[in-house]
Amino acid sequence: MGIVKGDQMVLNIGPQHPSTHGVLRLKVVTDGEIVSDIEPIIGYLHRCFEKHCENSTYEQVIPFTDRCDYIASMNNNFGYVVAMEKLMEIKVPDRVEYIRVIMAELNRIASHLLALGVYGLDVGAFTPFLYMFRDRERILDIFELTCGARLLYNYMWVGGLSHDLPVGFVETVYGFLDYFEPKLKEYNEILTYNKIFIERTADVGVLPPEVAISYGVSGPNLRGSGVKWDLRKDEPYSVYERFDFDIPIGEGTVGTTGDCWDRFYVRMLEITESAKILRQALKDLPQDGDVHQAIPKKIRPPKGSIYQRTESPRGDLAYYIISDGSPQPYRLKMRSPAFTALSVLNEISRGWMLSDVIAILGSLDIVLGEIDR
Amino acid sequence: MTVNLEQLIKEAVEKALEGDMDAINNIEDRVTRSRAKASLVKAKREATKEKTETSLDENSDATSDSKKDKTSNEHISELLIQQFPDDINKELSSKKHIQIQPKNWLVISRYLRDDPASLFDSLQCITGVDLGEESDLEVRYNLHSMTHLHAVEIRISCPRNKAKVPSVESIWRIGDWFERETYDMYGIEFEGHRNLKRILLPEDWEGWPLRKDYEVQETYHGIIVPKVKEGWE
Amino acid sequence: MIVDNLIDWFPTSAAWPGLTFIVAVILCAVPVFIFIAVYALVAIYGELKISSFIQDKVGPMGQGVGLHAWRWGLLQPVADALKLILKEDIIPSSADKKLFILAPFIVFIGAFIAFSALPFSQTLIIADMNIGIFYILAVSSLGVIGIILAGWSSNNKWSLYGAMRSAAQIVSYEIPAALSIVVVIMLTSTMSMQGIIQYQSGLVWGFLPNWLLFNNPFTFLAFFIFFISGVAECNRTPFDIPEAESELVAGAFTEYSGMRYAFFFLSEYANMFVVSGVAATAFMGGWQSPIPGMFNTPGWGLFWFISKSMFLIFMMIWFRWTFPRLRVDQLMDVCWKGFIPISLFNIFGVGIWYLLIG
Repeated sequence: MGIVKGDQMVLNIGPQHPSTHGVLRLKVVTDGEIVSDIEPIIGYLHRCFEKHCENSTYEQVIPFTDRCDYIASMNNNFGYVVAMEKLMEIKVPDRVEYIRVIMAELNRIASHLLALGVYGLDVGAFTPFLYMFRDRERILDIFELTCGARLLYNYMWVGGLSHDLPVGFVETVYGFLDYFEPKLKEYNEILTYNKIFIERTADVGVLPPEVAISYGVSGPNLRGSGVKWDLRKDEPYSVYERFDFDIPIGEGTVGTTGDCWDRFYVRMLEITESAKILRQALKDLPQDGDVHQAIPKKIRPPKGSIYQRTESPRGDLAYYIISDGSPQPYRLKMRSPAFTALSVLNEISRGWMLSDVIAILGSLDIVLGEIDR
Repeated sequence: MTVNLEQLIKEAVEKALEGDMDAINNIEDRVTRSRAKASLVKAKREATKEKTETSLDENSDATSDSKKDKTSNEHISELLIQQFPDDINKELSSKKHIQIQPKNWLVISRYLRDDPASLFDSLQCITGVDLGEESDLEVRYNLHSMTHLHAVEIRISCPRNKAKVPSVESIWRIGDWFERETYDMYGIEFEGHRNLKRILLPEDWEGWPLRKDYEVQETYHGIIVPKVKEGWE
Repeated sequence: MIVDNLIDWFPTSAAWPGLTFIVAVILCAVPVFIFIAVYALVAIYGELKISSFIQDKVGPMGQGVGLHAWRWGLLQPVADALKLILKEDIIPSSADKKLFILAPFIVFIGAFIAFSALPFSQTLIIADMNIGIFYILAVSSLGVIGIILAGWSSNNKWSLYGAMRSAAQIVSYEIPAALSIVVVIMLTSTMSMQGIIQYQSGLVWGFLPNWLLFNNPFTFLAFFIFFISGVAECNRTPFDIPEAESELVAGAFTEYSGMRYAFFFLSEYANMFVVSGVAATAFMGGWQSPIPGMFNTPGWGLFWFISKSMFLIFMMIWFRWTFPRLRVDQLMDVCWKGFIPISLFNIFGVGIWYLLIG
């Protein structure tokens, strides 16, 4: 019996489509439901980030970094200021470092909640999405309390912060953590261990570790493939070496290591770890220290270049900054983790069905603002 | 009165050049403000010209990396010099980076990935740099090894009008997109790349935007591309 | 039954012998249409409020000025319906215009004519055919033709995908549904809806009402297979792959807008009622009271029938807001490797049961 082979059809998913997470266009070659090739077409959200940076001063770059990964702006600020401080050899007070870690971890939780909730939506579960947004809302409230903005904060400055913590902040965050930690059980019950959800995600879109490394995939996606790699532990920046936390990795609990379920579950576990870091940071938070004290009057780094990597919720976020001694960067390159994650899509979703492509794309947790810059 | 105005504009522009835009934004009179902005743009253009003329001397790096990086870097550069004595440009290399000739880059990259002493299995980033309107373009590769936990920066420069560098897409798969991005912004051709086309910009865009001598095209599909944004700076 | 009564009741004119029949049919059809419309409004409101309750939000609550402003947002579905009616009716220029216009009506007709065999109470059934349940199974599969037409005529790849998925799904799931009904017919030895309900009077096991659901283990199983297949036939989550919004935008209905889209919407809800009504009739005693011997007047019968159907619709809504969506091949696996073998085994089992015990 010969194999019946039908004609192939090109299907354009996006730029406007419910589950392309922004304005991504996927040119999908399908044979019936089976996908034989995918070409992601990006750039619909290109805002000339790098060109803009060359024409702005170093301070003016910070709001731009907010807008790159608008889901985790704090972490993007963080990466930039860490790179700048290393370039300029600024020592920031401990209080500032602790506040930054608190903000970054809160934002990591918020970002993962969005990723997990939207992933539920991608595989057709609407309710978990709203549960997670309900709790993410509380984190945004905390940010609003701190710096007045809910999404784009411009909070971390080179050498300091824009505002000190408001009165009662520590209690608010403790209150949030006490409320939030039991909720994880609820998510697991409604989504993670749902039979249909496991059917949809286990063994689907398996990303082997060596392919992941070759594609530069990082963060939760890499850890989902079973590679224990986290810049917060392996190349600690800021004060991360003072905290005690684990790096969760995918273990193929319900399928193969590196499948969509593993990538999903690693994020779920990372939320717990972030909460752990938060509790330690809140406990040790130094009471004195001026958040504006180390901010330089003029930002003119010495000639030179720096490549600094930090761990954003999406993975390995790096800035390559070249300074020529003027108040404007000579060249600023942002290495975005979602960019590399999207490039692996074709590799791992060939041969799967159309519905799986949506599931795989969702499990990679991309943000188009960061890919297109 | 006019002298005063001139004075005011001059002061405001000077302040703005140092990064304090409020000086201009606080000018009450609209006409004066726009004049000040115009002269600011002019001043900036001149400043960039000056900037590009002074060559980028990064080798006098003021920054210091962690010790781990330094030692491994020297170690790697020794390895490379032994293996490929002709391809390494020792004068231009520093503690932080290794400058190599483009010709044998594909072989070197394969060696860097596979040799048990280096094992750079992960290409972190490819950055294109324009060294100035008159000088060369440069591609910088940040490599990292997940096994040995060391990192190295490779720099390859190529002439502006004949920018060609061998592609490492077949060595590190992510090279595919990174090289396309660098090509998109700098027009550096990566020889041997299977699908070298623009990635972020539309395919029919003209010019290489991140080159320092880039001029924005006049029209795009019949739409005039605005060059100076009114009311925003 | 009602149609027959009406025909008998009207004086027949010798000049137009068909006239009485037409008048009688119209007199029956109009109330059914109104019933569907009102029921759909109630069901949409229920869906909104139940989903809000499940998702920890408030749902429509009636603030502001306008149609939805009444208490508890009760008028929200009316406002939605009005909005859909007032919206522009867009027909894509590359669509096959005739089929495009025809499709929503075919889908609706499939659901609509099934109502004529639903036994609302002892006396309230439009036509008590001797093949009633068979008739419903037959006409409710008419809708799939409409969906295929909609998908094909839209000239859109998403629509085509949705239509093909829908066709495969509905045709497949009809088999286990029909096989489960065979179990019912074997026991009751009638295909008449009223006959099936009358079989289920009295008690079973001493205390339970003699519903087929409780009659024996095989019918118990058959009920679940029928109900789940019914959910699949209505294209509801977790079987909503034909219009899977995160994959296919809106599947076969992508290009539809305004009133035409409202018809698809209405048919989905009407189909839900038909499936629930048949399940209630065949397995839950139809209009029979859950407490045998009490509340068995025709008025109460209407109440019991609608409550039982609404309970099943509530279950469907509950499914929808709880489960993720299956993939198309998994859906087929469940049907062909799970449900069909079990229902075939059921038929065999219930035959043995009937021989030995019944």
